[in-house]
Amino acid sequence: MSTAIEVDIRNPSGLHARPAAVFVKAASGFRAAVRVANVTTGSADVNAKSILAVLSLGASSGHRIRLSADGDDEDEAARFLAEIVAAGLGEASAKDAAGSETAACDPAT
Amino acid sequence: MELRGLPAAPGVATGPAWRYRHTDVRGTPLPDVRAAADRASAELLSLADRVRALGRNDEAEIFDAQAMMAVDPMLLDEADARVASIGTADPDALAAAVEAVARAVAETLAALPDEVLAARAADVRDVGSRIARIVAGREIALPDRPSIAIADDLPPSVTAELPPGALLGIALERGSPVSHAAILARGLGIPAVVAIGGLLASVDAAERDRERAGGDGTPGPLIVGLDGESGTLVLGPSAEQLDALERRQQRRRAQGAIARELRGRPGMTADGIAVPLLANIGRPEEAARALEAGAEGVGLFRTEFLFIGRSDAPSEDEQVAAYAAVLRAFGRDRPVVIRLADIGGDKPLPYLHQAVEDNPFLGVRGLRLCYEDRSLIRTQVRAIARAGAAAGAVPHLMAPMVSTFEDVTMLREIVAEALASLDGAGEARADQLVVGIMIEVPSAALCAAELAAEVDFFSVGSNDLTQYVLAMDRTNPRLAAVADALHPAVLRAIRATVEGADARGIPVAVCGELAADPLGAAVLVGLGVDELSMDAGALDEVRLMLSRVTVPALRELASAALAARSAAEVRASAGALVARDAPAGGR
Repeated sequence: MSTAIEVDIRNPSGLHARPAAVFVKAASGFRAAVRVANVTTGSADVNAKSILAVLSLGASSGHRIRLSADGDDEDEAARFLAEIVAAGLGEASAKDAAGSETAACDPAT
Repeated sequence: MELRGLPAAPGVATGPAWRYRHTDVRGTPLPDVRAAADRASAELLSLADRVRALGRNDEAEIFDAQAMMAVDPMLLDEADARVASIGTADPDALAAAVEAVARAVAETLAALPDEVLAARAADVRDVGSRIARIVAGREIALPDRPSIAIADDLPPSVTAELPPGALLGIALERGSPVSHAAILARGLGIPAVVAIGGLLASVDAAERDRERAGGDGTPGPLIVGLDGESGTLVLGPSAEQLDALERRQQRRRAQGAIARELRGRPGMTADGIAVPLLANIGRPEEAARALEAGAEGVGLFRTEFLFIGRSDAPSEDEQVAAYAAVLRAFGRDRPVVIRLADIGGDKPLPYLHQAVEDNPFLGVRGLRLCYEDRSLIRTQVRAIARAGAAAGAVPHLMAPMVSTFEDVTMLREIVAEALASLDGAGEARADQLVVGIMIEVPSAALCAAELAAEVDFFSVGSNDLTQYVLAMDRTNPRLAAVADALHPAVLRAIRATVEGADARGIPVAVCGELAADPLGAAVLVGLGVDELSMDAGALDEVRLMLSRVTVPALRELASAALAARSAAEVRASAGALVARDAPAGGR
């Protein structure tokens, strides 16, 4: 059995540079084999534990990717990776920008 | 003999030429690809640490990423497969196999439409060479004295690996000012010139001549002089040339020290008139560098990075994130001017369905996109207003390519529509938007007073204004030398802009390259320009120039410039003023 989830990339620079490294390091922490495909461009699915393979997807902000995991911790792997992609992979996301800080900002501005 | 390339990192250097080749010295081979990859990865991580210790975090990330690439499962699996198929343990054959695999992966990245990813291809090739070098036991022959590197291309990992002080300068036959090699050279303060056509052949020939002329004794190394500002490399400079370069080097050091001391202080003339100095940025990540260089705000935040190189328009949320990041970085007291997308037919976007134009620089570009469809720009204005609320700052927005009064009316309508739609949806937004326009079309400069009544500020785009006033394509290399922004016609257009703005009491900034040139900046302040915005790297020099001149002297300069017959005459009088105010002995 395996688990597959589709998720939209929301962070501004997509699966490039630092966000890609964050993603690959997270994927590498699971025992399950994890694969990822760029649904928007119709790419083949590639090893999510390979930075070179992930970069080669050319996955930009707004693209949809499909994560599939196969192995012991497959459910947890797919769910966790989908969550961190949705949360912007450590890059400022629109949600952060519009969220809590709005409430914190001085009413005088 | 003098060779020309592109300036890539500022500064001047003279010294012996060092040819970078990595096949010179033999050490012990390590005929095990995976073990070699582990060692390469460890070396790259320690390079990252070393560069990070110098405070260059962005450059360190290049090496962090390369360390990951070195032990990449896809790369190593393919290398294993290739090694198995050739069935040999000969270190040279293994090394060749690793390099071939890395090259193939690099080609896949280079073929992607995204230029940032394509730039990673060079990093992958460099990783492949490093692993191959370890497998084959090849080492880089280090320069035996501080030298100027001469190479086809010099990977950043090699630059960072050399002991500090070993590289006086870098001259490359290939490369570009935006390559990682150039970025690192700037970060480490090593002067560099790239894209020097025929470099290697010329250096070969010069070295052969020396050997022939040397007679019995072994000739010393070829001496070269490198100028990272004009983008030139002199092979075997004369005593006078060497002397001149060394004097410039000394003056640069002295000026650098003074300029650094001025950092953190606002731009101000010798007689105490404030001239805010701001930075131009093209991505949110550049905000940190601008702040570090003492920018008093962002005078031009180009937003094209959000729109180009993709198949669909950026979402409003994605834009909010990018704008809010910069607004937050600069806080409430330092303004950030966000320019609406300056897009046109020269770089058509797949999701805009623009018609092909014969003359895209005179076509539907910038604000003119709204003649046909306002939705793209309206979304951008909404995002800017939301980002202001998210960051607790008052965003400034600026429209490019404004040429008529109707353009300004339309801009105000779009802003009103965007704000009303946010209010209708109950979205949090900035209470206030400061709305300005770029002055880059002659018609806008000539009708500045009428336009000034409708907006909060002007910002002169001197690059486009020059090309439109002089009718000279600034991307045409045959016109580059004559398309000078200091032409009196361009200055008269800027003067008209300032007069129009003064009539309505709105400020005028300049955000083109003219502001980054100390001579240009001197003339602009003399013309009555209130603020200057430039690449962060130019702030020190302009701040220093301003600190040495008085407003009356600059006004006198501007009057002479307006009355001049040519750009050359303007340059001569500006050069005389700026040099006269330099410290004694600093020529």
